[in-house]
Amino acid sequence: MFLGVSMTAEKRKVTEIINLVQNEGRRELLELEGKQVLAAWGIPVNRTELAKNLEEAVRIAREVHYPLVIKIASPNILHKSEAKGVKVGIASELELRQAFNEVVNNARAYNPNANILGVTIQEYLPPAREVVVGGLQDPSFGATVMFGLGGVWVEVLKDVSFRLAPLSAEDAREMIQEIKGYPVLAGTRGAPPADVDALVDIIQKVGQLMHEFPEIAELDINPVFAFQSGKGAVAADARIVLGEKK
Amino acid sequence: MSPELKALFEPKSVVVLGASELMGEDSLYAMFFRFIVGNFSKFKGKVHIVDLSGKLEGSEKKPNRAPRDRDLAVVVLPKELLEKNLPKLLTRKVRALILVSGDLEKKQEEGLSNLVKRKKLLLLGPNAAMGVINTANGLMATAAREPIIRRGHLAIITQDSSIAAMMLDRVHFHNAGISKFACTGEGLGVDETDLLEYLVRDKETNAICICINSLKNGRRFVEVIRETVKEKPVMVLKASPRLEGVFEAALRQAGALLTENIGELIPIAEGLIKQPPMRGNRIAIATNFPGQAILAARYLSEAGLEIATPSNETAKKITKKYPSVRIKGFVDLGATAKASHYKFVIEQLLSDEGVAGVMVINAIRSSLLESEDLCEIAEVAKKSNDKPVIDVVTCDEDYAIAREILADTKLPAYDRIENGARALKMHNLRWKMLEKLKQK
Repeated sequence: MFLGVSMTAEKRKVTEIINLVQNEGRRELLELEGKQVLAAWGIPVNRTELAKNLEEAVRIAREVHYPLVIKIASPNILHKSEAKGVKVGIASELELRQAFNEVVNNARAYNPNANILGVTIQEYLPPAREVVVGGLQDPSFGATVMFGLGGVWVEVLKDVSFRLAPLSAEDAREMIQEIKGYPVLAGTRGAPPADVDALVDIIQKVGQLMHEFPEIAELDINPVFAFQSGKGAVAADARIVLGEKK
Repeated sequence: MSPELKALFEPKSVVVLGASELMGEDSLYAMFFRFIVGNFSKFKGKVHIVDLSGKLEGSEKKPNRAPRDRDLAVVVLPKELLEKNLPKLLTRKVRALILVSGDLEKKQEEGLSNLVKRKKLLLLGPNAAMGVINTANGLMATAAREPIIRRGHLAIITQDSSIAAMMLDRVHFHNAGISKFACTGEGLGVDETDLLEYLVRDKETNAICICINSLKNGRRFVEVIRETVKEKPVMVLKASPRLEGVFEAALRQAGALLTENIGELIPIAEGLIKQPPMRGNRIAIATNFPGQAILAARYLSEAGLEIATPSNETAKKITKKYPSVRIKGFVDLGATAKASHYKFVIEQLLSDEGVAGVMVINAIRSSLLESEDLCEIAEVAKKSNDKPVIDVVTCDEDYAIAREILADTKLPAYDRIENGARALKMHNLRWKMLEKLKQK
């Protein structure tokens, strides 16, 4: 019970994570925490677990199964690729042992003062069409959501669409259809269509999350892996920034 | 909570406070004052003029000696004269205040806000020179110079005074019919959302144009738009390039029709009053000006529409009655066609299932078409209640004739094919929006 109103289990879980981050004086969630928020909210994420040291990494890797992805976990390193803190497609324990040390050393070189918590061991996702789903609290309009294709489509061509949150499934579908790159998702040159229904669901859920948690200032899922129609979509990264605590 | 705007638009009595003789920079306010006083000549209620210069005939010189109870005060003073005279004016009861004065200091603005709160005053402004117009009661509380405004069913809301002035100019140019008009200026009191809430209930208003430069509370604005569009179309002019992304998406999501083109705003909005929403995107064309009609395919396609070639059955009916009519995608009636040709052809096109709307493309002075013929074409348009009919008159002199003759009819006139195409696109978007509402 919270102020006499019962909170849903999802809401309680997200509130817990946010409180924890705020209590540590941080404004940006770790990728792992971001994914926990998304997962609690019903958004599919690839399996992601924190390994504090090499032994833990090896043990977790056996559960997650090879091939896998590892990423540096540090509240002080937000651009993990820039710090050379990401390794994709690790196929064996031998490779993992090498990669673990390499990623940690790279991170230390990148920022000697960084508090390194370890690395996250992540389920490797097969190639798919990559899209971006974002959320932002607009000073005039309040909670908004953004959608676009990943990579150059967003960064160079600014091919994105927006809606106010919360939004209907139809609005979410229109958002997907109105970007110029939509044919890439609909399927061109014999490629099967991507799972647009799964994307509609993720966009709607991000909208609901932004609407229910005005303390989330920014949210970025970049990329979301959109598999073939019927095979779903999965958040492969998560960046959540909290607003100034009021 | 939206304030009750009745005192602003429907005052029984008005006091106008200004100074008719001011020097230097301040002379702007003397000019505004004279214009506003002049514009009150057709007002059906009582007007009391207070001229601090004591020059205007029939005016009072002291602001505190105005009659007891005034619904609306219009204050047209430079900021230096404001501090002394505004409180004096407000010693007597006033419900609403249009403040033309602009460029207030921060301290003055705060003082004003306090005054407004204490006196429970409805404030429009500051910097609201273009003020308020209500054609139903002849209220022209505006510093435009002798504006010529026809009574009609289109309401216009603006923020910026120069955009407001352009709107009044366009209204006159297109011979559009206006119900209400208001310019919020700095928007310290009444804002565009308050006005919208008033206009959605206004029986004189059938469509609303809003020109937006900036938005303080976008969320509330779109929520009110969402309610308004259930009743009447709302067109929003994006008057600042800074408004993009979220702004555009939010307004579309709420069901507003968006444009960046100040030229098309008034005619399209009025067209939406005159003709029904359009169910599909296939447009039949009837013309006596084939050289122009041939361009239509391109413009329609740019607007996401296409030419509807009449069905064989429709074509047969037309050519049986008028063998000289040529059908080549569009329907070419020939330069000698009269109203009877047009009426028959348009009726056939409207009953063709493959046609969602009809664009008439006319030359007037290089044909046998007379003013009366246009009126008869308008009669056919009036009867069409599920498919829009519009008239495009591409020669400028011809358009000048058409906009005069067609002003009071149900046939909207456009001066360019691309504008007609964009208009029909809006009729289609309006239909889609209403369908979406029905499903919910």
